[in-house]
Amino acid sequence: MRILERQSVIIWGLAMALGGWTAEQAEPAKTVEMNVLPGLQFSEVRFAVKPGEKVRLVLNNTDDMNHNLLITRPGTRERVVEMAGKLGESGPAAGYVPNTADILWTIPLTAPGRSRTLIFNAPDEEGIYPYVCTYPGHGNVMFGAMYVSSSGEMPELSEDKHIPEIRRQHSMAERRDHPYTPVAPYHYRVFIDGASPAAIAVALPNDIAYCWDAGTCYLRFAWHGAFLDNTDLWKGKGNAESKVVGDIFFRSETGFPISVANKTPGEIVYKGYRMKNRYPEFHYQVDGIDIFELIHETPERTSLIRMFRIPEVSVPVEFRTSPGEGVVYSASAGVWKENVLHLSPQESRSFAITMMKADKK
Amino acid sequence: MNRYVLTVFLGWMMACSVPPEAGEPYVVEDIATPEGLVSQVGALEFLPDGKLVAAFTRGEIMTYDPAARRWELFAEGLHDPLGIHVVSNDELWVMQLPELTRVKDTDGDGTADLYENITDAFGITGNYHEFNYGPERDSKGNFYIALNASSSGGPMRKEVRGRVNPDGRDGETGNRQMYSTVPYRGWVMRLTDDGILHRFASGFRSPNGLVVDDEDNLFVTDNQGDWVGTSPLFHVEEGKFYGHPASLVWTEGWSRGSPFHLPLDTLDSMRTRPAVCFPHGIIANSPTQPVFDRTRGKFGPFGGQLFVGEMNRERIVRVMLEKVNGKFQGACIPFLDGLGLRKGNNRLAFAPDGSLWVGQNAHGWLGDVGIQRIVFAGRTPVDIHTMSLTSEGFKITFTQPMQDTAATNPRNYQFSRYYYLYHSQYGSPQQEVETIPVIAVTLSKDQRTVNLQLASLESGYIYELNLGDIPSKWKQPLRNKTICYTVNTLRTE
Repeated sequence: MRILERQSVIIWGLAMALGGWTAEQAEPAKTVEMNVLPGLQFSEVRFAVKPGEKVRLVLNNTDDMNHNLLITRPGTRERVVEMAGKLGESGPAAGYVPNTADILWTIPLTAPGRSRTLIFNAPDEEGIYPYVCTYPGHGNVMFGAMYVSSSGEMPELSEDKHIPEIRRQHSMAERRDHPYTPVAPYHYRVFIDGASPAAIAVALPNDIAYCWDAGTCYLRFAWHGAFLDNTDLWKGKGNAESKVVGDIFFRSETGFPISVANKTPGEIVYKGYRMKNRYPEFHYQVDGIDIFELIHETPERTSLIRMFRIPEVSVPVEFRTSPGEGVVYSASAGVWKENVLHLSPQESRSFAITMMKADKK
Repeated sequence: MNRYVLTVFLGWMMACSVPPEAGEPYVVEDIATPEGLVSQVGALEFLPDGKLVAAFTRGEIMTYDPAARRWELFAEGLHDPLGIHVVSNDELWVMQLPELTRVKDTDGDGTADLYENITDAFGITGNYHEFNYGPERDSKGNFYIALNASSSGGPMRKEVRGRVNPDGRDGETGNRQMYSTVPYRGWVMRLTDDGILHRFASGFRSPNGLVVDDEDNLFVTDNQGDWVGTSPLFHVEEGKFYGHPASLVWTEGWSRGSPFHLPLDTLDSMRTRPAVCFPHGIIANSPTQPVFDRTRGKFGPFGGQLFVGEMNRERIVRVMLEKVNGKFQGACIPFLDGLGLRKGNNRLAFAPDGSLWVGQNAHGWLGDVGIQRIVFAGRTPVDIHTMSLTSEGFKITFTQPMQDTAATNPRNYQFSRYYYLYHSQYGSPQQEVETIPVIAVTLSKDQRTVNLQLASLESGYIYELNLGDIPSKWKQPLRNKTICYTVNTLRTE
């Protein structure tokens, strides 16, 4: 094992060029260039080498803090970090490197803008060898994994427990959620806060989105922004929920809004949805009466239009709203009395309700 | 099993009277999936037009034309779809977390436009483990689905669907065993053609695999864990209870409070035992979908038997069932190990050409992703065809004539027996492991069948047989040497 400052690497390279090196040392090494990213992260969060392979690891401290890099025996990273933490006052003199056989190789503390190179032969024993910076406070976030195996296989990044959790996804730029690029309108059935577990989230053009709940059969909330972040939901076992990306401008407080013939709704049954030019039209029943609801964006960025059809109705229908839902309601038909829209049977067969984000007073 | 299977097998035996070609009888091939697809496979079936249809964890349903090697999107936005029943090229019934959904292309443009609720008459708490499996159809048009119990490793969401019954959860912390706080988690349900979802059988933990045989018998796999000492295959019959207590709270007229508080003896006397146990670490740790080989010989000599996926290693398991005293029981054996097969073998489907397609999944557990297919190369494998219980031991039938000196040597048949505990703890060690000597071996004239007489034969044990080096008559090695038979009952005739 040798540690070389950048200068000595140049000399070493020169010597090689002159042919004055032994064959063993002239053997080409696998080179890993390790930079430091903002947020206490190694640029290469993991890499694979073969047992016994010659490795040239270059730590380029591209950060504005000091960092070291310790390669440890499998499963000992946390213990080494803990020991480094216990060095206390003697830490700086030791370069924050504790005295333990768990550490296989060390790149000592490297100042910002400096580089150091470590050349070593990978262990003969296959395994996952952690590397970590033990500078105070860094050890629990700044680490990675060297996979020593003849196959060179590593688990899927998203499921690799040997790297920091925040690194288990590809960068947003290179991430693709699907084998196609979804174009609004499109939808997901998801677990999401503010709705039952049978929620349907729909992205509309104009950066508007809404959550219609198949468990309760009504529009729960709407927002404008970049739709959803499903990273947690799709990661691992899915013990998580989809997150709204944007600002929620509507949230129902009314509950199920439609009453037929002035009756409190009894049995509400979710029937499904049909895509109309890629927009889902929801179908549900209230006490056996079919209701269809199709929701579109409007040219304004923060409003929705809800188009209802109740084809078989022969009695009056009411559409209830509540103040404080964040929107101003208007309707294509019927008469508003306070917060309730009253529709004749004829009007109920097809009507539209527009919800526009209320100005904050 | 049935007549055509017997005919196919006899045909095989005749074909096998000449030395078979050497080489691997089965080949594993990778199927390329589209770039950008996270191919965690939740469902895999074939359409009448011969295309594959697959559902993926992120909600896509895609079709694949094996001839043109082309993928196309059929539907999107589904919530963790884990099962498909193919109605036609245009219509699928898809089991997703919130419901069983009719996904249909009604306008002929090649993509689904109708997502109709077939049934959502069960609860969901939003716990991450509330996977739903099936639907499997019987000949009368009933559909079976299975509802996973909720995991002690995750919470209920604050808003749930369905009536909450806290008795379906264990203890003060409610945090130790898998639970059933909304209807009918941990049940197998039957959907009748009037659209009503009925309770069918209870006591399931994580039943990730359903199949119906030609006589409308339903078989379901479950996963080792609390109350499941080792992973089982159950023959599931109406009204029966299969061991995990949580779901009992949704038994019609249940008035016994928390089933977790019932005495262990009571629960044990209520339960129906597995038809086949998969010994943990030996045969399978996490069995998945079982499929019957109905390929009429296109997939080799095991027609009528079950192939079952295994999540935790590069393996497909084979199961052979028989009825003893009117009840199913039988044996399990590795079918294929390695050969390039990945882990996470979650979904299996036979293609029209008789190849077995395998969809892989990890879902945060041990596994892999992708799709592979297993092709029978036409070379008869040297393997155990069937293991059957006799009044004094077991009858082993091989796929080929075996070398007589090795096949008649009792030392080449090492039996041990053991059982697994039924208890609330996660899994069970093997109990009372005991070696059982073979006291007599007789080989049939055609050298394909041995009768093994055992020093002791008792019900309530798994008999694990490890075979020695018994080559075929043509000196080819035996492919699989460990087979486990679950003896629930002895032959009384």
